[in-house]
Amino acid sequence: MGVLVACHECDLLQREALLPGGGVARCGRCGAELYRDRPASLERTLALTAGALVLFAIANSFPILGLALQGQVIDATLYDTVRRLWDEDMKSVAALVFVTTIAVPLLELCALAYLLAPVRFGRVPPHFPLVFRVLQAVRPWGMVEVFMLGVLVSLVKLAHLAGVVPGIALWSFGALMLVMAAISAVFDPRALWQAADAAQPEAMR
Amino acid sequence: MTAAMTAAELGLLSCHTCRLVSRPARGLGEMGCPRCGAALHLRKPASVSRSWALLVAAVILYIPANLLPMMKTSSLFGSQSDTIMSGVVYFWTSGSWYLALIIFFASVMVPLLKMIALALLLVSVQRRSRWQPEQRARLYRLVEFVGRWSMLDIYVVAVIVALVQLKAIATIQPGAGAVAFGAVVVLTMFSAMAFDARLIWDTRAQSHG
Amino acid sequence: MAESPHGSNVPNAPNVPDLPEAVVAPKSRRSLQLVWLIPLVAALVGGWLAVKAILDKGPTITIAFATAEGLEAGKTKIKYKDVDIGLVTAIALAPDTSHVVVTAELVKDARPYLVEDTRFWVVRPRVSGGTVTGIGTLLSGSYVGMDIGLSKSPKEKFTGLEVPPIVNTGEAGRTFLLRSDNAGSLDVGSPLYFRRLKAGQITSYELDKDGKGILIKVFVATPYDKFVNENTRFWHASGFDVTLNSNGVTINTQSAVSVLIGGLAFETPVESAELQPAAADAEFRLFANRGEALRNPETDVMKMAMVFEESVRGLTPGAEIDFRGVVVGTVTQIRPHVDVGGSNFKIRVKADFFPRRMRSRDRGPVMTNDQRRALLAGMISNGLRAQLRTASLLTGQLYIALDFFPSAPKAKPKKDARLDDDDLPEIPAVQSSLVQLQEAIAAIAAKVQKFPLEQVGADLQTTLRSATRLIEHIDNDIAPELRTTMAEVRKAVESMDQALKPNSPLSQDARDAMREVSRAAAAFRALADYLDRHPEALISGKRADPKETGK
Repeated sequence: MGVLVACHECDLLQREALLPGGGVARCGRCGAELYRDRPASLERTLALTAGALVLFAIANSFPILGLALQGQVIDATLYDTVRRLWDEDMKSVAALVFVTTIAVPLLELCALAYLLAPVRFGRVPPHFPLVFRVLQAVRPWGMVEVFMLGVLVSLVKLAHLAGVVPGIALWSFGALMLVMAAISAVFDPRALWQAADAAQPEAMR
Repeated sequence: MTAAMTAAELGLLSCHTCRLVSRPARGLGEMGCPRCGAALHLRKPASVSRSWALLVAAVILYIPANLLPMMKTSSLFGSQSDTIMSGVVYFWTSGSWYLALIIFFASVMVPLLKMIALALLLVSVQRRSRWQPEQRARLYRLVEFVGRWSMLDIYVVAVIVALVQLKAIATIQPGAGAVAFGAVVVLTMFSAMAFDARLIWDTRAQSHG
Repeated sequence: MAESPHGSNVPNAPNVPDLPEAVVAPKSRRSLQLVWLIPLVAALVGGWLAVKAILDKGPTITIAFATAEGLEAGKTKIKYKDVDIGLVTAIALAPDTSHVVVTAELVKDARPYLVEDTRFWVVRPRVSGGTVTGIGTLLSGSYVGMDIGLSKSPKEKFTGLEVPPIVNTGEAGRTFLLRSDNAGSLDVGSPLYFRRLKAGQITSYELDKDGKGILIKVFVATPYDKFVNENTRFWHASGFDVTLNSNGVTINTQSAVSVLIGGLAFETPVESAELQPAAADAEFRLFANRGEALRNPETDVMKMAMVFEESVRGLTPGAEIDFRGVVVGTVTQIRPHVDVGGSNFKIRVKADFFPRRMRSRDRGPVMTNDQRRALLAGMISNGLRAQLRTASLLTGQLYIALDFFPSAPKAKPKKDARLDDDDLPEIPAVQSSLVQLQEAIAAIAAKVQKFPLEQVGADLQTTLRSATRLIEHIDNDIAPELRTTMAEVRKAVESMDQALKPNSPLSQDARDAMREVSRAAAAFRALADYLDRHPEALISGKRADPKETGK
């Protein structure tokens, strides 16, 4: 009597099966990944989220790159980038950059922390479903890794113009990118729901 | 082995957010997932038409995105406008051909391929084609995965514009092309999100019975 | 809300591969995963960075400026000696909108530099004092310059300068004060020259409190400041210094810069070169030009007066008083005096006389004023007089010459007590040569006037009339007779001419006669010869010569 699951790609109705450690369950028809075994998902995700939050704070407090010209160094934090775009009358692009690199990652991390921490310790936080929905809705729009690549490309492009000084935030963003990739690999929503259910079944009704 | 059935055939609803399978409730109105509260639909509502609309809008904006300049460089030596392609050419001719390839791929090929792929998928679904659903499914996965990388050029423009502020020597301003290009990326992402991949398989199922 | 199904409610549920149920090992809530290292490390790094940022935080100050032009919050840097020392963090209007308040954060090490007399100013491209400064800021953007003061008391609220200070604290040199009548073409930053080398500049100037002059603060850099002693003279060296005086026309200029923006110069007279260097902030008088500066020194001044009864047009205060070519004084005041009783108009010229110039240096004791007056009286009785002379025909300028005029009338003792209210010794005046010349010409003119021109005219007319008559007479009477005579004479000459022609009978006859005569002479010669040979022939007659008869 396993739980039913419908493939999100081909809608085939299947029964969930338990997996060996690290195994993957795929749809019988289209081969899409149904679910995956992620051991200690909650714990690891929480740890990574905490780390990511710290890295996020660092990455936004310090400049990413600095342009050195004639002894003068002009540097820019991520917010400076958004601000500059906004001032240049490119408000839509500024909003886009802000959302995809600052707002969404922050929201994602905060939501994860909000959901995972209490559940890890046996409690279900209020508005759990709402926060979960927000989290899932917002995740596709976090583009920190694309941003990193963009920074690297700019670095090369500007190196032709003048000396480029990598800032602290550059490394921080790089690390953030890796950590967030790890989070997507480690985070298991099913495990979360199961744990939440187990913790406070009455809260889930 | 019993015949495979889709949830839709059985009238069951699969939550997009938490993957819970649930029975439709009696009564009318929007149905929400019992677990996570997300809106439930058999298939994404008006998937094809929404997807088409967004795709067409993206295609329309793709033209100014490539024609209008992404960056305007004004310096002591005059001003220069860079479109996406001219940026690629610049990198190629100045020796960083790997960068040229990256930018070309991310800013030109990817959006183009995305749009073509989406169009292909939509057409195939509308015509209830039965051609290679696995391949199409894979194509869809690819489209979804790769969509975000088109944002690359926008980020490059943003960073460069923020840094190069040497008022007298050189100032770089973002061009209107960036707005159009951003819109293209967003629209194609929404278009892909609106497209319900299960439709690919629906025809197949229907043909079986 | 849909219901959640559980297996049994759903018919025909397909069976995805049935795998044996695995045993789920309960997770221990307390075990910590290794993965927690990641956030731990991240937190450590972040914490360290935060702590470092806080520790590195330097002092925050506010600077009041008149305008925020060129300043940008978060971008404009504060530099000292071109080293980044701070950053402007915020710019806001003062509550009373009279100025702009700039908040800036400096580096930690800058804390001891923020003292009372530390100064801030904005470095922008600026043209001042003959130089263009701050061009670099066109490229790099304006920045806030800083000059660290020497005070020891810390300060957090500063008022920024609107103009960069001319001299930075710590620049070696001394400041002096100069008093002048007017500012001329001087400005802050105008150069100060010593022997045509730029030795310093004007740092500031302001109107004197009572409005009677200008007080100029000037900075003289080392090593020139040691050449400034209490006897140093400062003068305007602006522009072209054109002087038109008894020496003619002189054009003087210090440098092209001073022509454009004005300048000052200083020099110490040779005789005072050994004095101690002047203390800082010593006051000096600023002269109008070099001549005046170096000329005017004399402490030993004797005032005197001269009274002229002729026009002194061309004489100006400052004109020289010259004794046989040596300048011994200057005119200070010229005032006319009207003797109301009589119709006497006198011009009284007051002058400064420098006795030292009339005696050799360093010889004998300095005379008292009384002694000098006595000496002067003696010279006057010997004929010392003052006379106006033309210095330059071009400009008409006059100077006063003192000299001995032995033929001058005796000096009258001073009668008009009213004239001299200041009891100055007076040197009597002698008419200037110009006046004398004028008088002579007047005399000639008078003589010319006396000349009896009408009489001469009348006589001349009479003479002319007689002459005319004479000529008429000649013409009418004598002339025809003369003509006749002339005709006759001509005739005679013609006939003579005729007669004397070679073929005229007269000449032929003459020729014949001459021939005869010559034949006769020849015969006579022959006779003579014969007689010579035959002297007896005279008695006996001539013999028949065989030769002759042979014919």
